[in-house]
Amino acid sequence: MVNSVIAGLTSGGGYALLGLCVVLTYRLVAVVNFAMTAVGAMGAFIMVSLTDKGWNVWAALVVGALSAALLSGLLGAALVRWFAGHRERTKAAVTVALFVALSAIGLRLFGGNSTGAHRFPNPFGDPVFTVGSVVVPQSVLVSLAFALLITLAVGLLLTRTRIGLKLQALSERPSTAEVVGIPAPRLAVGVWAGVGAITMLVIVLVAPRLGGDFGALSGLISTALAVAMVGAFRSLPLTLAGGLILGCLEGMSSSVDSIQKYQGVVPFLVILVLLWWRSRREVWDTAHSR
Amino acid sequence: MTVPALALEGVGVDRAEVPVIHDVTLDAAPGAVTVILGANGAGKTTLMDGIAGLAKVRSGTIRLDGTPIEKLATFRRARAGLGYVEQARTTFRTLTVEQNLLVSQSGDGDLGTVYKLFPELDKRRNLQAGYLSGGEQQMVVLGRALVTAPKVVLIDEMSLGLAPLVVRRLMTTVGELASMGIAVVLIEQFANLALAAGDHAHVLRKGGVVFSGPCSELRGDDERLHRLYFGGPPLTTPGPSTGPVPGGGATPDAPRNGPQESERP
Ligand SMILES: Nc1ncnc2c1ncn2[C@@H]1O[C@H](COP(=O)(O)OP(=O)(O)O)[C@@H](O)[C@H]1O
Ligand SMILES: [Mg+2]
Repeated sequence: MVNSVIAGLTSGGGYALLGLCVVLTYRLVAVVNFAMTAVGAMGAFIMVSLTDKGWNVWAALVVGALSAALLSGLLGAALVRWFAGHRERTKAAVTVALFVALSAIGLRLFGGNSTGAHRFPNPFGDPVFTVGSVVVPQSVLVSLAFALLITLAVGLLLTRTRIGLKLQALSERPSTAEVVGIPAPRLAVGVWAGVGAITMLVIVLVAPRLGGDFGALSGLISTALAVAMVGAFRSLPLTLAGGLILGCLEGMSSSVDSIQKYQGVVPFLVILVLLWWRSRREVWDTAHSR
Repeated sequence: MTVPALALEGVGVDRAEVPVIHDVTLDAAPGAVTVILGANGAGKTTLMDGIAGLAKVRSGTIRLDGTPIEKLATFRRARAGLGYVEQARTTFRTLTVEQNLLVSQSGDGDLGTVYKLFPELDKRRNLQAGYLSGGEQQMVVLGRALVTAPKVVLIDEMSLGLAPLVVRRLMTTVGELASMGIAVVLIEQFANLALAAGDHAHVLRKGGVVFSGPCSELRGDDERLHRLYFGGPPLTTPGPSTGPVPGGGATPDAPRNGPQESERP
C-alpha cells in the first residue's frame, strides 16, 4: 500500500506539472487549453518514432520537444490571430475541437493499442533505495526533481526577468499591457510554445508507467484539468499539491484490487468533490473573475 | 507652423460595432497641450481608444509624426511613440513601481527622468503599485507613458477622483511634459483646470467636434461651455473652427446621429 502511494508520486510529479501548464496558460493568455496533452503526446510519439528508427534518445527527445513547441506555438498563433477578441469559452471550445482533431490524427499515425507502451524509454525504473519495507523507485525522485526544477525555472522567469514581468503585466491587464508597448501576440505564442515543450517532456516521463498509447496520453488532459481545479486555475502551489495528491490517490487505488479497475475515475471524483466543495464555499466565482 | 505630432483626419471610431465617433479632424502640436473637453458620454475616451488602437477606427487617418498608424496593432502604436494614460489609473497592481516602469521602457526611455519628475515614486520603487495612493498611481501611469520615449501622450481624465492639491501637482507635470517637446492631449470633463493649462481646445458632443479654437476663447466662459457641452442655439458661431458654419452645422447633426445609432441593440 505505502509502496503504491510512493510509486504514485512518479505520476504525481507529472500531473503537478500538467496542472501547472494549464494554470499558466489560463493566467497568462486566458485560454483553457484542452488540446495541451494531445499536442504533448504528438511530440512524445514523434520522439519514439525516431528512437524506433535508431536515433539517439536525447536527440529524439530534443526533436520531439521542439515539435511539440512548434505545434503548440502554431495553435497559439492561430488563436491569437483569429480569436483574440473572443470570449474565454469560445477559445476553450476551439481547443476542444483541436483536441478531437489531434487525437484522431494521432491515433491514425501512431496506433491505438498499448503496443506503444514499451517503446518509451524507462531508464529510471530500478529501485534506488529502501526505507524499511518501503521501496522508493528512482523514477519518483526524478519526477519530483523535474517538477521542482520546472516550477523554480518558471517562477524565476516570471519574477526575475523582463519578459516574465511583461507576462505578468499581460496577465493582469491585457489591453493596458499593449498600450505600454508590450508585444502581446508574440509573448502569447511564446507561452504556447513553452507549455507545449514542457507538456511533451512530462508525457515522456509518465508514459512508461501509464502504458503509452496515444489515446491514454492525450486523455491526460482530464487529469491536468482536475489538478488545475485544485488550484482554482490560479494558485500555483495548490496546483502542485493537487498533482501530487492525485498521483498518490491513483497509486493507492491501484494497490487495492477491488477498486483497481476504476482507477481512471479518480480525476473525475476529484473534480466532483471540488465542485461540490466550491459551490458550498462560493469561492468558485471569485476564483474565476479575472 | 510645425508639423503636428498627432493629426486626425475624418476619424470615425466604433465601440462594440456601434459607431460612436464621427468625422473628427484635429491636430496636436509638439510642445503644446491640446485640450479635449466634452460632457460625460460625449465620446472622449472612445476617441482616445481609437487613437491608441483599443477601439476600432472605422474611417479616416491618424498620423503620428506624419506616418499613418490607424492600421497598426496597439503595441506598435506605442512603440511608434504614442503614450496613453488611460482613464481610471491602470497600474499593474501586483508589480512594483519600478517593475511597472521596466515593462514599459523602450527606446530612449529613462527611469531616471521619471524619478526626477516624481520624487514620490523614487521613495516607493519597491512597493507594489496596488498599495499606492490614487495620486501616486496616476504618477506611475504617467511615468509608464514617459519611459516609452513618446512623441505624443494622451491623458484621459487624469484628475478624476483626486484631491485638488494632487490635481494641481499633476497639472504642473503635464506642463513639464510639454516643455520636453511632447505633444500632450489632455482630456477633461471639468474644463477650468484644463483650459488654464492648455493651448488649443476641442469640444466633443455626441461623438463629433463642435468647437475648435484657442483655450483662451473658452476660459471662464461657463455659459458658452455649457452650450457646447449640451447643445442649444449658438449665440455666436465658434471662431476658428472647422469648415463653413461649423458650429451650426455640426450641432443639429450630431444629436440626430447619436440616438439613432445607439438604439441598435
Ligand atoms: N464598451 C462599450 N460598449 C458600448 N458602448 C460604449 C462602451 N463604452 C462606451 N460606450 C458608449 O460610447 C459613448 C461614449 O462613451 P465614452 O467614450 O466613454 O465617453 P466619455 O469618455 O466622453 O465620457 C457613450 O454613449 C457610451 O455609452
Ligand atoms: Mg471617458
